[in-house]
Amino acid sequence: MAESGRGPRLRLARPRVVVSGVGAVTAAGWGVASFRHAARSGRTAIGPFNRFPSDAQRTHLAGQAPPGPPRCAGWARLSNSDRFALHSALEAVEQAGLETPLAGRSAGVFFGSSTGGLFETEAYYDELVRLGGRPRRSLLASHHISAPAETVARHLGVEGPVETVSSACASGALAIQQALEAVRCGEVDIALAGGADCLAVTTYTGFNALRAVDEQPCRPFRSAREGLSLGEGGAVLVLERADHAVARGATPLVEVLGTGASCDATHMTAPHAEGVWAAAAVEAALADAGLDCSDVDYVNAHGTGTPLNDAAERATLARCFGARSARMPVEATKGVIGHLLGAAGAIEAVAMTLALVDGQLHPAPGDDPSDPALAIDLVHGAPRAMPSLRTAISLSLGFGGANAAVILGRWDS
Amino acid sequence: MMRTPGVGIVITGLGVVSGPDGGVDALARTLSGAEMPATAVDRSKGYHLADSARRAVLTGDLDLSTWVPPGVARRMSRPSRLAVAAARMALAEAGLAGKVEGPRTGIVMSTAFGAVESTEQILEAVRLEGPQGASPFVFAESVANAAAGQVAIDTRARGPNLTIVQREAGALTALGRGAALITSGRCDCVIAGSVDQMPPVLHALLDRFGALARPGNGMHEVARPFDRRRMGFVAAEGAVVLVLERADQARARGVQARARLRAFGSGFDTTAPRIGWGTGHQTLAAALARTLARAGVAACTITHVVCGASGSVAGDRLEGLTLRRLWGDEELPPVLTPKAFVGQYGGGFVASAVLAAAGGTFGPTPGFTDEDPEIGVRPHAGGSLPPASPSLVTTCASGGSAAWLLLDRA
Repeated sequence: MAESGRGPRLRLARPRVVVSGVGAVTAAGWGVASFRHAARSGRTAIGPFNRFPSDAQRTHLAGQAPPGPPRCAGWARLSNSDRFALHSALEAVEQAGLETPLAGRSAGVFFGSSTGGLFETEAYYDELVRLGGRPRRSLLASHHISAPAETVARHLGVEGPVETVSSACASGALAIQQALEAVRCGEVDIALAGGADCLAVTTYTGFNALRAVDEQPCRPFRSAREGLSLGEGGAVLVLERADHAVARGATPLVEVLGTGASCDATHMTAPHAEGVWAAAAVEAALADAGLDCSDVDYVNAHGTGTPLNDAAERATLARCFGARSARMPVEATKGVIGHLLGAAGAIEAVAMTLALVDGQLHPAPGDDPSDPALAIDLVHGAPRAMPSLRTAISLSLGFGGANAAVILGRWDS
Repeated sequence: MMRTPGVGIVITGLGVVSGPDGGVDALARTLSGAEMPATAVDRSKGYHLADSARRAVLTGDLDLSTWVPPGVARRMSRPSRLAVAAARMALAEAGLAGKVEGPRTGIVMSTAFGAVESTEQILEAVRLEGPQGASPFVFAESVANAAAGQVAIDTRARGPNLTIVQREAGALTALGRGAALITSGRCDCVIAGSVDQMPPVLHALLDRFGALARPGNGMHEVARPFDRRRMGFVAAEGAVVLVLERADQARARGVQARARLRAFGSGFDTTAPRIGWGTGHQTLAAALARTLARAGVAACTITHVVCGASGSVAGDRLEGLTLRRLWGDEELPPVLTPKAFVGQYGGGFVASAVLAAAGGTFGPTPGFTDEDPEIGVRPHAGGSLPPASPSLVTTCASGGSAAWLLLDRA
């Protein structure tokens, strides 16, 4: 078993799976339109924030989502993550043209999250230890990491599988993989795939303790990069079989071509410096999609802005794409909205969807070019038109060594 | 789970770190006895209410050094240690210790709560010392997938690495999705399981939300699944890990499997509140019926049910009525309720289901005396069970999720 490589695939005739709707909440605002506008503008939505005091922290910036419009009865009782998830799901389902509730339909929810209702749980804990007695129970109602997915299912009437992956920053991409497999094998006709995460004291403090946070808005792949910027938000993609979407009159946006996953198994927080196992995730996704590395037109990078991540990711790209890696266009979405942790893979899949639909890549904020030592073609300064864009890959690298890759393609019936 | 023709998934390794003794044999002894090995919870931090539950099935005194040397354990949180120890046990039983390195072995762990104690430590440090007092090591171990990451580091398993968080349904979901990684061709072998720690703060919060059985009349708290007097569950901690692989691969290696995993399915009860169970047994029964139909299994052929009923008032009602709805007027097969022995969380339930697949003698359900007429399910009264052909393993989670497995004897 130790020597086995990619291994034989048990391929069956598989249905094509498409994305028929997307939804998002980010620091740029509520809705995909605000994300698209911010991403194209080349400006960052990362800045001072007030979700909780950061005076005593080493850094003081984040990609905090603005207050959002109520979307249902009981909105005020939902956690921040629940709201991000629900708004994103409602937007995605609306674009997909699906009538709600989905009760009676063959549908599931596959989410990624790392915090769930952690922000509200911290408030409960604070009341528990500071005040003693009886803290407000409502603060803990969305404690579970699975709560955002459950909120979506409850409000949309989903009666099929509802699952949450919590594999740190790879969660969102892994959730898309789970959703893809569920659609492929006929377990569900419709899968809402995505993620939601919130800013919280624990994560903000933890990344600061790791000295992994930049004191400026994060600068992925730039020479002066010093770390990541935390963000928050949600993203949802509606996945369904292509024939199912077409039969009900929906217009597919993009096709989900393949996914792959791997684990570094070397360190809990640092990525494998040579990108060996992240490259294995890319290769697995290419094999799953039946593609060759030459088929990939651009990369939406994990691009956190930490010196270690970006260097490891550069090594990964070199391993996968060889000399072409220096010319491979790279999007760095976290420079716009910060790091959405368990939702990062999902929002970056939305970014790829927009790129494939619009035929252009969004720029990383800032005018300075990429770190010469990394030798990558970072899209920056202005959007880059790529009218012939057909295939995009996104990479997610998480704590615990979890890696995941998602490949989307232009929809071509 | 997609059923790929010709690809049977078998369980060739089982590792158990639950209860005060740990190990598969200790679990088997517990299941054939008549009481739960619960011990006192540390209430000294002041999180507990005066009349709170006082006991849980804990692993505090368990010596893990045989499985996780102190030098290795030092860089791990308690949940990670439990999971690594269980994984080493499971791989040893499967004859795969030191042999799963590489990209064809995946890991799918589940946890209901993650490393709560690590999060508590960070918040405590922030409160008492400010953010600068937080430990980066503790933060790295506070993520829900810390245990899965540590198992990967320990085994060098470099395939897909997932952590499922779906409350009480997570453990079965991890097995189902782990098997799917094999049937889809992504992996040859999957290390799958469940881990949870029950620190005092979590125990106290479960109690404050009315989830736990409480002591009374000079008696310790008792779970009493399906009993009319049930008032909550008894919490537990631990880790259980299974080795999943293709049946033909296991045969080629000459390994005796413990059980065959025939099918997995899941559903969601939209009537469920955010905390607690709903009333949608008809919806769940329909979803369970679809799982059986996909697997080509008629309910009347199920030899026994391993039920996730825990003593929860609403949870047991939902789970019992789901079963009753599926069977209709027919008599239910024997219903095991292992959580009466092993408690809620920590994977003991899943390990019990694997042991039950082989048949054997099981003790009378602790605490059960009076059937709840609203449910009409009587748990196993003690005695021998036949090997599964198949058994149905069910769990209904707080918040709405439910999951099912069909297991066959090997």
